[in-house]
Amino acid sequence: MTTIPVSWYLIVSALLFTIGTIGVLVRRNPLIIFMSIELMLNAVNLAFVTLSSYLDSADGQVFVFLVLTVAAAEVVVGLAIIVSIFRTRRNIDVDEMNLLRG
Amino acid sequence: MSGVALIISFFVLAVASVASALGVILFRNAVHSALSLILTLLFLAMFYLQLGAMFIAIVQILIYAGAIMVLFLFVVTMLAADPRDPDLQDRLPWQRGVAVVLGLVLVGALSYLLLSGTPLNEAARAHGADALSQVVAQQGNIQAFGQALFHGFSFAFEVTSLVIVVAILGALVLGRKA
Repeated sequence: MTTIPVSWYLIVSALLFTIGTIGVLVRRNPLIIFMSIELMLNAVNLAFVTLSSYLDSADGQVFVFLVLTVAAAEVVVGLAIIVSIFRTRRNIDVDEMNLLRG
Repeated sequence: MSGVALIISFFVLAVASVASALGVILFRNAVHSALSLILTLLFLAMFYLQLGAMFIAIVQILIYAGAIMVLFLFVVTMLAADPRDPDLQDRLPWQRGVAVVLGLVLVGALSYLLLSGTPLNEAARAHGADALSQVVAQQGNIQAFGQALFHGFSFAFEVTSLVIVVAILGALVLGRKA
C-alpha cells in the first residue's frame, strides 16, 4: 500500500475539478464545455479510486465503473445533439443558442 | 517501489495531469484541447496504477482515452469546417475574471475542507475476507473487482446496460435525417 497521504491525491482531484468548472464557465465552444465536464467526472473518479485504495474496499472502483458508463452515454447523446444543432444552424456558439427547438 | 520514488512519481504525475488539464481549457483549437484531454486521462490512468486499481486503469485507457476521445476527435474535426473562431468575438469580457475568481474560491474551499475536515473513519475500512487487499492477494485484481461488482452492485450493473441502450437509441433518433 502507498505511503502518500490521502489528502494529496484528493487535492489533485480538487484542482482538476476546479479546472473543469472554470472551463465550463469560460469557454463557449460546446465541445470544449463537454471536455471540461469529462474533466470534472475524472476528478471525481480519482477521488473514488483514492478512497477505495485507502479504505481497502473495492466499492469505490465499482463506482468509477458506473461513472464511466454514464460518461459514455452522456458523450454519445451530447455529441448527437451538438451535431444536429450544427446541421440546422451551421454554428455552435453557446451564446447564440437561445432556442430549445434548434 | 521505495517511498522516495513513490513521492517523486506522485509529484511528476500531479504536475503533468494538472498542466494537461489546463491545456484543455486554454488551447484555442478544439483539436488541441482534445489531445490535451487524452494526455490528462492517460496520467490519471497512471495514478490509478499507483493506487493499485489495475482494472480501472486499463478500462480508463480503453474506454476513455480510446473510445470516448476518438468520438470527440471525430466530431471536433467534423465541425471544424466553420472558419469563424467562436472565441474571437467576446460578448461577456468580464466572464473570464469572474470565472477565475470563482474557481480560486472553489479550490480554496475544497482544500480547506480536505485539510481541516474529519479524518477517515477507521470503522469504514473493510476487514477480513471481503477486504480489497485480501481478495487481491488471494485471487487477483480483476477477481476482486468482479466480486465487488456482482456481489453488491449487480442491479446497478444491469441498469447501466439499459442506460447504454437508451443512449444509443437517443443518438440514433437525433442523428436521423429529419
